[in-house]
Amino acid sequence: MAKFFGVVIDEKRLAAIKGTPLEEKVEPIFGGALKRLVVEVPDDLGQKVIDQFTKARFDARGFIEETPASFKRLVFKKIAEMKSLGPEVIEAAVAEIPSIKDDIAKEDKELPIPDVDISDVLELQKNPVQKPA
Amino acid sequence: MPEVRIKTLPPPHGGKLVERVVRDPQMAMKLMQKCSAVYDIKPTLFKGNPVRNVYREIMSVCYGFFSPVEGSMTKADLESVLERRRLTSGWVFPYPILFDISEEDFKKLGVGAGDWLLLRLKGEPFAILEIEEVYEIVPGDVAIRTFGTPDKNPEVVKVPFDQKHTGYNIYCSLNPIILAGKYTIINEPKLREPFNRFWYPPKRSREEFTKRGWTTVIAHQTRNVPHTGHEALMKNAAYIGDIKPCDGIVVNAIVGAKRIGDFPDEAIVEGHEMVHLAGYIKPERHLVTFTLWDMRYGNPIESLIHAVIRQNMGISFHMFGRDHAALGEYYDIFATQTLWSKGIPSFGFEEPPYMVDGGFYIRPQNIEEFWFCPKCKEFAYSANCSHKGIYSRYSGSFIRGLINEGVMPPPEIYRPEVYKVVVKWWQKFGYPFNNEKYLKEREERLEVDLPHMELPAHLKK
Repeated sequence: MAKFFGVVIDEKRLAAIKGTPLEEKVEPIFGGALKRLVVEVPDDLGQKVIDQFTKARFDARGFIEETPASFKRLVFKKIAEMKSLGPEVIEAAVAEIPSIKDDIAKEDKELPIPDVDISDVLELQKNPVQKPA
Repeated sequence: MPEVRIKTLPPPHGGKLVERVVRDPQMAMKLMQKCSAVYDIKPTLFKGNPVRNVYREIMSVCYGFFSPVEGSMTKADLESVLERRRLTSGWVFPYPILFDISEEDFKKLGVGAGDWLLLRLKGEPFAILEIEEVYEIVPGDVAIRTFGTPDKNPEVVKVPFDQKHTGYNIYCSLNPIILAGKYTIINEPKLREPFNRFWYPPKRSREEFTKRGWTTVIAHQTRNVPHTGHEALMKNAAYIGDIKPCDGIVVNAIVGAKRIGDFPDEAIVEGHEMVHLAGYIKPERHLVTFTLWDMRYGNPIESLIHAVIRQNMGISFHMFGRDHAALGEYYDIFATQTLWSKGIPSFGFEEPPYMVDGGFYIRPQNIEEFWFCPKCKEFAYSANCSHKGIYSRYSGSFIRGLINEGVMPPPEIYRPEVYKVVVKWWQKFGYPFNNEKYLKEREERLEVDLPHMELPAHLKK
């Protein structure tokens, strides 16, 4: 059974593939709340990706998930460069993993905290329904 | 006509709720006087990382989550559990519960059968182990027999377990000497925030259900911050009941050592709480709780410990989804549902666990899957919606991947308030997921603090 590698497409990434055949391959998910490109890979290549990263795994949908964000950026870069959604983009990205080793190591320790106002939930938590015994 | 209404909570598994907690300090001192040695509880390590702490099992035993188990298993009980998933008393129980120590520590302690051992946690007296028997195990053998093999359990085990499986590593990392006997907590720990408001051991949960007038309650197992698919599962599964949907929905989170990359337990319990604080399920119908247990990720085997825990809490129904408490592709994705619909003979279940002798009163609610369908305009049940190519399937790994990339999950996936709980703990720990730093600090901090308690003079040496 084939495996899949999904890359979420934000506005910046969409701009990078605008006007190429890839643009038509962008698919909406969750009713259009997100967009993505999907690369289909044979089992052995999927396993090769999993073997590169300790956390990576196939999820119940057959997608390769929990790879580092820097690897996903690298895969998108290869998709844009090679203008392809074939397994060769994953092969090319795997071959270049040594170039992002430092980024991957950093990602395991820190990820930038999003600038989100959480004051409303802190307010809700001031009056929890459940109380300690 | 058969009675269709459910008027009482199910009885505890084994018939009697275990509670082995001494709250009188004088009695605690008397019990400590009988101890001949002191042992400081240590975490179980795999490749230097904590994967288990036996204190969590002691808590779950002594507060009755694991009734009728009262302590570390004897050799006969261990063999019985591994062979047929039953205690020697005949009650279904899936996992070995063991107090393991190294040969070196065993020699230092100089204890044997008939001795009492004082267990210390975070430098304070915590519990007593009444040693009934001392025996040796081969940890790798226990690990293999606990989870099964493709040869012996071909119905559901697809590939041999290996070091990518956290639960397998827990059993492989056990020390070879087992001290078997009953546990008694003699210095009641104080649960730390935020866990203290979610601490509902079986006695308290039953009291709470009675106070709320609940007789039909459904359990939701979790090790995740809830996405909208989980919420749909909870709401829809709760339509089971008797003449009306279930009175209560109880989330029971498994709190303990977890794999790197999962969400921290603090975010998990508060994320679920936010479902009722933000009004998506009325708090009158929703209770968030947890059990201390270092998850074994044993899919059908894990579902049995979930049944033990939740029936002891007084819960009547249990929702089981695909890939229940699973990790990787070791088991068939529907293994738990197979167990709870027709049984798995090679694991000792010719029939489902609620039909066998020594089995459960709790009833399964086997659920396929919920997905987001823009055409149905709802979180659709997979057995209803046929809009292939339009619907989007949920995946916890996918959502964690979004967060990892700095993408805020849209409200179709996460309630905004729930995502903000993730951000709250991200701010606190500097990272949104379990990483090595979090797991190590967490192992020192644990989920509890212990009040200071003086040791008797003979144990101070």
